[in-house]
Amino acid sequence: MRRLLFTGFNAFGQHEFVNGNAADCNAGFSELKAPFSDKNQCTISIAWRYSALAFGRKLWLRGLLAECPNECVTLEAPGDIKALAAGDTHCLVLLHNGQLYRVKPNLKAELLPVRLEAPPRSNSGTKRSIFGIPKVPELSIEHIACGSHINVAVSSENAVYSIPSCLHQFPGRQFRVKQLECGHEHAVLLNGNGDVFTWGNGLRGQLGQAVLKVEEAPLLVEALAGIKITRIAAGGWHSAAISAFGDLYTWGLNCSGQLGVRVMKPGGLLKEPTVYPLPQLHDLPECGCSTKSDHSDDDCAPLGVFAGSRHTLLIRRCGGLWATGWCRYSQLGKQLHLQHKNLSYLDVFQPLDGIALDTTSDRVLCGPWSTVIFCGKKSED
Amino acid sequence: MDLPLLELTKLLPRWVDIENLLQDELEARFILKKATSHMEKLQTGISGGDSDEEEEIRYLICALVDRNWERIHTGHFSSVSLNIRKIYAIGCYFKIFFLLLEDTSPAQKEVCSGILDEAQLLGCMEDWSELKVALMDYLDKGKEENPKLLPVLEPLLRVSCTCDIPQLDAPNLKEFQTKCFQAEQPTLLLNTIEHWPARKKWLDLNYLLKVAGNRTVPIEIGSNYASDEWSQQLVKIRDFLERQFSTKKANQEIEYLAQHELFSQIPALKSDISIPDYCSISKDDPPGSVDIKAWLGPAGTISAMHYDPKHNLLCQVFGSKRIILAAPKDTENLYPHESEFLGNTSQIDAAKLDMVAYPLLENVKFYELLLQPGDCLYMPPKWWHYVRSAAPSFSVSFWWE
Repeated sequence: MRRLLFTGFNAFGQHEFVNGNAADCNAGFSELKAPFSDKNQCTISIAWRYSALAFGRKLWLRGLLAECPNECVTLEAPGDIKALAAGDTHCLVLLHNGQLYRVKPNLKAELLPVRLEAPPRSNSGTKRSIFGIPKVPELSIEHIACGSHINVAVSSENAVYSIPSCLHQFPGRQFRVKQLECGHEHAVLLNGNGDVFTWGNGLRGQLGQAVLKVEEAPLLVEALAGIKITRIAAGGWHSAAISAFGDLYTWGLNCSGQLGVRVMKPGGLLKEPTVYPLPQLHDLPECGCSTKSDHSDDDCAPLGVFAGSRHTLLIRRCGGLWATGWCRYSQLGKQLHLQHKNLSYLDVFQPLDGIALDTTSDRVLCGPWSTVIFCGKKSED
Repeated sequence: MDLPLLELTKLLPRWVDIENLLQDELEARFILKKATSHMEKLQTGISGGDSDEEEEIRYLICALVDRNWERIHTGHFSSVSLNIRKIYAIGCYFKIFFLLLEDTSPAQKEVCSGILDEAQLLGCMEDWSELKVALMDYLDKGKEENPKLLPVLEPLLRVSCTCDIPQLDAPNLKEFQTKCFQAEQPTLLLNTIEHWPARKKWLDLNYLLKVAGNRTVPIEIGSNYASDEWSQQLVKIRDFLERQFSTKKANQEIEYLAQHELFSQIPALKSDISIPDYCSISKDDPPGSVDIKAWLGPAGTISAMHYDPKHNLLCQVFGSKRIILAAPKDTENLYPHESEFLGNTSQIDAAKLDMVAYPLLENVKFYELLLQPGDCLYMPPKWWHYVRSAAPSFSVSFWWE
């Protein structure tokens, strides 16, 4: 059965549940109402006061859109929607044909095309048509991401946009953008080669560069150079990466334990607020899972990492879901709060009991103060 | 709800007071409208308080505070709009009241005290200072006095020593304007703050403990803010004073209450000092506002060689400080850090010059002096300064443009 499990901040009715507020799994996640079919993929993106959900050409915005909670608008895009990036003031909508739109999250919401500046030079070169008139190549966007202070798009020609201006042009042929993520004010990009690039505001260490400053254009994270990275994540002011060796790195701000790096000062005080500008390699605790037959570390190596404003989640190969960071709004499931009353954050990665993922199909997505799990199995029960 | 608390709610912002502020703030509008109307109902006694509704508003108010905390921490603090900081402060006030509606135990009041101090640090509280003072009184009331006694410091005797910059004995405004301000000449001003009540009162650390002990302030830990070991913590002044000034001082790290706007946080302390008239000498007409900062710590606190963008009058209330200055023209020779945070800070240790690592220092002219109790040091904008306390020390700095 395919379903979406949610936990976190929902004070504005950003999300609609199948069973009211009741938990639908032991970790304390609740199932979201969402349209599903076997053909079409459902896309979701979460901002602080509203959520955006797309299915085929249809787009729903829900939450506090004008005056009160539970407001909802429905829109139809000119083509099938591939990706969404919901920010405070607008939501970016990317279609499968590479066209980019934006929509303001209010009751009069409408899709407006986003006009991007042409990159300084095109990789493919302009071809002459048979009539001798240079043909302007159609700009096709492949990746989008946004935060409160940043909006990024990457074209199929590897031009990087700080919408609407072109920031940077990665080389054409060999370079393939694999993943793009944004925090509140920084961007992290992973290419097919396993290299990580960051830019934006790095004053809280989120860029993984030794010097804390603002970087206008993508810059290779030197500290990870030579390590093949397979997955990245960008939280509010922190970032994370997983290598092909199964190592987890986190860097940036650790104000709510989001890096999973516990540092105590003599006297037992947590050192805070703490900024880690360089990627920190994690020595994860052994997974207590029962699924492995032979004792091999690889069975439980990190596979995917995801981040919200101040929390981080990790999928391990065995299907275990681990988490650290802020949980005051149940970002990490309601179950934690039954075990520890008044818990406001975890400062080391811990397993979330009562949930096991199918690593072949399940995906995780974080809103600023929430977590969604796509349980992707085709319906069978 | 107890009566004193009910009285206090009358000082809370009403919807009409804040509606304009919230024009473009959907979530704050929705949440604060609920909160203000709930408080009005309580005041008029219409409702004994629907506890479900109250619980919901408490949750929303906490979310509003946390959300605006995040907004304040995004981008440069200087570019965060005043509106956001005001909403944060208003949110904190309501959060405190909704927490007190739940429970007025000492532990809860302690939590509320902390929220009030955080609102002071990050928010903009100017419009509601009457509420702030009243709330502080309410939260501090009934706290047992601390039995531990702090020392009363002996006033330091004046020592004569060399001073590489001019000294003026209580110059008049005209003299200050021509010889110091216009000449851009760092100068030691003598006998200009003798009339401050602070000069005597603050030597008794128990007085500071009584007036300020319950306030939370940012404390720098480690002797030098440019080093890797340095960190900042929010601590109660009470704990800081006990750790750093009690007679049986444990062997521990140096903590420094530095560059903090203590006097807007604690109005009672502000009446012990006064803004020197020299701060009214300005190129701007009328002169702009004056930033007043407190610097309190044991012997051995260090501010690495750095400069500030404004005119600076550093007034020594008690204790003494060893200061090394260098002129703005030597900036290129002083090896400023590359990062944006530390761009105004030199990499050198001014107390122990390393000419091998930093050969350009050969070209720098350094000026040394000892700032003694009652002295004020005038520094023009962008003058480099290194400061090390030679004894337990309390300084007040005035920055203006």
